[in-house]
Amino acid sequence: MDFAFTREQQMFKKEIIRFAKKEIVPRVQEHDLKEAFDFESFRKLGEFGILGLHFPEEYGGSGADVVTTVMAGEALGEAGVDGGLTLAYGAHSFLCADTIFCHASDALRKRYLPGLISGKYIGCMGLTEPDAGSDVASMKTTAEKKGDTYVLNGSKIFITNGPIADVAVIYAKTDPEQAHGGISAFIVEKGTPGFSAGPPLIKMGVRTSQTSELFFDNCEIPAENLLGAEGEGFTMALQTVEWDRSALLTPFVGAAKYMLNACADYAKKREQFGRPIGKFQATKHKLANIRIFYEAAQSLAYRIAWYKDQGRPLNHLEAAVAKLFVGDWSMGPANDAMVLFGGYGYCHEYNMERIFRDSRLAPIGGGTSDIQKMIISKLI
Amino acid sequence: MNYDFTEAEHALFADIAGQVNALGDPAALEQRDPSEKGWQIRRVMETLAQTPYLKLGLQPAEDYNGQLTLMGAMEVLAGISPSAYLAVESAARLFGRAVGSWGNSAQKEKYLDPILAGQGLGALALSEGAMNIENEPLATIGEKHGDSVLVTGTKQYVINASIADWIAVAGVCEGASALFIVESGDPGLSVDAPLQTPGYQGTPISAITLDRCEIPAGQVISPATGDDMPAVLRTWENQILLGASLGISKTAFETARDYAKSHRSGGKPVIAYQEVGFKLAEMLTMLQTAQLLAYRTAWTLETSPDEAYELMLSAKVFCTESAEQICSEAMKILGGSGYISGNRAELAYRCAKYGQIAGISTEIARVKIGDAALGYRK
Repeated sequence: MDFAFTREQQMFKKEIIRFAKKEIVPRVQEHDLKEAFDFESFRKLGEFGILGLHFPEEYGGSGADVVTTVMAGEALGEAGVDGGLTLAYGAHSFLCADTIFCHASDALRKRYLPGLISGKYIGCMGLTEPDAGSDVASMKTTAEKKGDTYVLNGSKIFITNGPIADVAVIYAKTDPEQAHGGISAFIVEKGTPGFSAGPPLIKMGVRTSQTSELFFDNCEIPAENLLGAEGEGFTMALQTVEWDRSALLTPFVGAAKYMLNACADYAKKREQFGRPIGKFQATKHKLANIRIFYEAAQSLAYRIAWYKDQGRPLNHLEAAVAKLFVGDWSMGPANDAMVLFGGYGYCHEYNMERIFRDSRLAPIGGGTSDIQKMIISKLI
Repeated sequence: MNYDFTEAEHALFADIAGQVNALGDPAALEQRDPSEKGWQIRRVMETLAQTPYLKLGLQPAEDYNGQLTLMGAMEVLAGISPSAYLAVESAARLFGRAVGSWGNSAQKEKYLDPILAGQGLGALALSEGAMNIENEPLATIGEKHGDSVLVTGTKQYVINASIADWIAVAGVCEGASALFIVESGDPGLSVDAPLQTPGYQGTPISAITLDRCEIPAGQVISPATGDDMPAVLRTWENQILLGASLGISKTAFETARDYAKSHRSGGKPVIAYQEVGFKLAEMLTMLQTAQLLAYRTAWTLETSPDEAYELMLSAKVFCTESAEQICSEAMKILGGSGYISGNRAELAYRCAKYGQIAGISTEIARVKIGDAALGYRK
């Protein structure tokens, strides 16, 4: 075993934190209050290279390994970037662009990846439906082959980046009689007749990310937009799970470090009963709980990334363990941080209530904690 | 980066498990040994001496990774017998490590070599009634008296005290920290009867009193200049407790998991019920998280010990507190059979609390982690 990050990785993390504090964090509060997507920050993520870290250079990426890639998410969280922007980045780069990279034809890769990596295009992925959440086999959206086209009908829900996406990876049944084996994946472009997005859903947290329904009403797309072969969609969806449970988790890990630093600074300055509240053991106890969560969650998330770097396919047990831990165990530290700030913690200005709201997504998005428990209990 | 143990390490872990299990039913090691010499523990020490176990972390061992390999090996032994583990570790990694770290060559030859050969048993006496969070000066005093030192003081919770050949007593001599090696039967040394404890019943834990106990000056060990001896000893204790927590957690989890797969209710194994399956999922999540934290702590102690302090404390809190939760949930899954004395989960549950109390307690650990975050403690 060796838990060391390389010197380059450590420098890279510091550089992202510096960049994010300067270019993105000053814009976070305003956009969170407005529940508005921060297009400028997203574009800057592209300019800095974050959107395409793990993609080959020929498409405009950096060719980074998975550990380095997920480290970017931790760094953004540690800098104080909101969960909405990091979620949008995750859905864009890992759920959409990575699926195209892994399964699309070379022509489709060349058509979409450079724009997705630079931030010119925004991507999303549509899997969940109103009546098909973790039970994806029960999806109702269909894709019927008609000559050189597929015709999509149905709807998707809870789609991150849905209202703003230029490119969508959509899962639909090409064989409705089959369960998992009937699912296929397609690329659908914004503006395709029959394809529309609903208004952004009003959410508790991650408010700068735009989440909506997607509708397909006789939406006709070229047959070449099929990813891989018919019936391979479920496997592709499973492959995104490891990103879901590493890259999309590390912003929560970084947020814990942000909370720790912010709480410590506040506790040293805030005086009650004639001394800084940091002198009280109850305050130290809260700081300790945040630190312990940070240390624990970090190892779990990077383990998945390292396994992925080793080419080990579909580490469902370890991925579910990481997701369950970050999801369920992050609630306590987020609550502690908000309470430590007292009344200020309940006010938007001090960020703790936003992080608390953002953290609430961790046990829900990408498969609820109950689904993770179901996966783990079946694998042991 | 690498999240796997090596093949050599896995082989070592299997060897340790095989050798200790070959001694017979490990449940016997959890019973109080009526013999004055502690033959049960000595037998385990002799057996472990046939493997590299006792030397891990104390002497260079090719193919292994020092403290990291040791943590994995500790988990294995603690999972088989918590009591034997605690006694062995107190002898090797507290007494033995103190001698190995700070003793001179004569002291190492006299005390450490027999330990590593499985032919001797040691103990460390650190805790005192007045010790508190800030590690106030030890009250145990050694006074020079010609070529001898007269040691006076009282120590509590000394593991192996009643069966040890040698006890390293932490105290102060001429204003500096020191360890006084007191031998079994030395005049002035009195050892109380072993305490009654809910767990670790096969490990004798006693209070000792030293009343002008005379030892040769050659049996005084002086820590290296700059070492905060009580703090260093607490760190070593914490390492041992991490290993214990991993071992008992793993045993409790596996016992509950195996039962849930084999015990049927309503026509199906009980693991098929979400109340049981989900509980096991939470237990495994805590176990794997604890393992990674403990392994990373051990790795940091090996590679950059100056950076390990807060990580060690974080691991101490998480591993020991999750151990109690895992063992408690295991007992619930096992139903009535988990409440019967001798069940592996019941044994683990009785041992679990000790980890939160011994070494640096989890409350004090949290205070220290908080102090570090605030910059109050470097």
